[in-house]
Amino acid sequence: MTYRTQRVAYPYMVVALLLFGLQVVLGLWLATQYFVTVPQGLVDIFPFSTARAMHTNLLVLWLLLGFMGATYYLVPEETESELAFPRLAIVQLVLLTATGVAALVGFLFGWTQGRPLLEIPRPLDLLVVVGALLFLFNTAVTMIRAKRWTAVQASLLGGLVFLAVLYLFGIPFYRNLAVDWYYWWWVIHLWVEGAFELVAAAMTAFMLIKLTGVQRAVVEKWLYVELGLFLFTGIAGTGHHYYWLGAPSYWLWVGGIFSALEPFPILLMVVDTWRDVRQRKGPMEPRLTWVYLVGGVVIHFIGAGLFGMAHTLPQINYYTHGSQVTVSHGHLAFYGAYVLLNLTFFYLAMPHLKGLPLGRYDERSGHFAFWCTALGVMGMSLAFAVAGVLQSYLERYLAQPYMVAQVPIRFWMAIAAAHGVMVLVGVVMTIRHLLTLKAPAGGGEAAAVAGAAVTLPSAAGK
Amino acid sequence: MTERTAKGVFWGGTLSSLALFLALTVDTHGQFAALTRADKLDDTVVAGKRVFERYNCNDCHTILGFGGYYAPDLTRAYTRLGADAIRRRLAQPEVAFRDSYRKMPNQHLSPAEIESLVAYLEWVAGIDNHDWPPQDSEARWKRSTERLLAAAALSPAAALVQQEGCLSCHALGDRGERQGPRLERVGARRSAAWIGEYLGDPQRLAPGSEMPGYQHLSAAQRQMIGEFIVALAARGGER
Repeated sequence: MTYRTQRVAYPYMVVALLLFGLQVVLGLWLATQYFVTVPQGLVDIFPFSTARAMHTNLLVLWLLLGFMGATYYLVPEETESELAFPRLAIVQLVLLTATGVAALVGFLFGWTQGRPLLEIPRPLDLLVVVGALLFLFNTAVTMIRAKRWTAVQASLLGGLVFLAVLYLFGIPFYRNLAVDWYYWWWVIHLWVEGAFELVAAAMTAFMLIKLTGVQRAVVEKWLYVELGLFLFTGIAGTGHHYYWLGAPSYWLWVGGIFSALEPFPILLMVVDTWRDVRQRKGPMEPRLTWVYLVGGVVIHFIGAGLFGMAHTLPQINYYTHGSQVTVSHGHLAFYGAYVLLNLTFFYLAMPHLKGLPLGRYDERSGHFAFWCTALGVMGMSLAFAVAGVLQSYLERYLAQPYMVAQVPIRFWMAIAAAHGVMVLVGVVMTIRHLLTLKAPAGGGEAAAVAGAAVTLPSAAGK
Repeated sequence: MTERTAKGVFWGGTLSSLALFLALTVDTHGQFAALTRADKLDDTVVAGKRVFERYNCNDCHTILGFGGYYAPDLTRAYTRLGADAIRRRLAQPEVAFRDSYRKMPNQHLSPAEIESLVAYLEWVAGIDNHDWPPQDSEARWKRSTERLLAAAALSPAAALVQQEGCLSCHALGDRGERQGPRLERVGARRSAAWIGEYLGDPQRLAPGSEMPGYQHLSAAQRQMIGEFIVALAARGGER
């Protein structure tokens, strides 16, 4: 950590991690409801729909807070200047967290916009917009004042502005269901396969520069190419969501062709990372940070690239659309692309924020936590995939009624839940590890003590 | 590759894809009215959409394939179930799903809310979406059903179905009404014995249903109708 105001990133990461834990708990409860019969009395007060709204909104909220924390850590180093308004960054965190918590509590009492993933009620949407504007203002002013522009910054700011603009399409009430879904995907798809990818590519490029010491010009050149391919395939690739919602049939062609190309930019990202890792200067230390970095890139490719590709062609999607196949892809893709990205960044930044010398930390329990979570998510996604293929065959192909086709699926949902327990254990251990980072054994007691003093968010002011 | 080429890839890729996407968006808007029968999208239907959102139905059910995957897709719920069966599920889910291993919450809907939801689902069922979902596609199993119906029309049970006027509420093949569930659908979910018993006293097995009782038929006749309906159950797969 070189700049004092980078400290505002720390509370963002802490809040993000706690919300992540809660998200996983709710996920486990959702999976349980697939193979256990929940009594009517409980269903009436806490239905699956409410738990799902909480699970998905927690995901979006913590990922965004993670991105914002990462931005506040990254921008001072990239611009080589202090953050313009560090206090405002804390105000923004409080505002967004309070809005998120109000939304979650509201869901429990049936206060909802009632559209999947966009359940946050419209009055709270306005607060989200205010929070996003504060964030963009703070980041943009810092960059403009510093008058130092890098491709990493441009990609990051571009992604964040794109993200904020797209959110607006999810706010209005649409009379026509088909038009509603059409713009719903502008938020959901263009977020995860557009704006988020811009942010992710910027964060990955920043981490590669920091960790490998490879020349910035090389990393940034490939960043342009990756982003060009991401957006070329991703924007028109939105069409793979328009097959069955009442849109014209040319979307079958556009969606099918562009999304067939979508694995390529991710593959390029894998190749770039691999090349940078091989050309690194110095040892791969701390080891765990590298495990996260490489693991994230690889699972991003499997989950988003391969699992996405598997059911994106219209001929296949006709049978798999809206089944557990989507669930399988969604979990592995989000974990590989964005969860591991955030966690990698936390592992890069938090030791510095805690003032640990050279950013080194005691890794021991972290490795087990990583593998427990990663293997849990992989197993869970495979179980969802089996359930999805069964559902596609029994319900979609053989035309069995939904509840008849669900009977053999219950077993696979139990398998998914068993892996969910692994995920929960791994995630709790990861959160604990990240929140209690210590200097490696024999690595200077004094540094650890000094580190503890700067963790307070109140120290971030001025 | 030089940095200049790399920037060229970025701007070329992004702008070409964006231009195509926006152009198709404009064109799609021009076609939505016809594809979704927007002329039938009246205030009752819109009120139904608001009710659908108010109670967060979409986080358990999918509709047009989007949403939670925990409950049946509702795109063709109207053609599959008919108005009465939808009303019954909405008004008293704890009764409708009494024997089910998965429950639906009772949202205490008003009669007006239920009617608007029925109108909404009727409108949704008419969206032209390339015949998705396959399990509810009548085009996909019509040929086999037609063949079966042609042969089955000569059976004694078919004569009973005709005589009792089942098709003035239910659909079967390309005939009948959409007040009750489609008979092929019933046949896929229930046994012949269950149907026979149900015909004798619908209120006992499905309280609140508008289905009249057929106590005037003998138990053997009711069983025969049950077997007829089960035999005609919709099956997917190769045509």
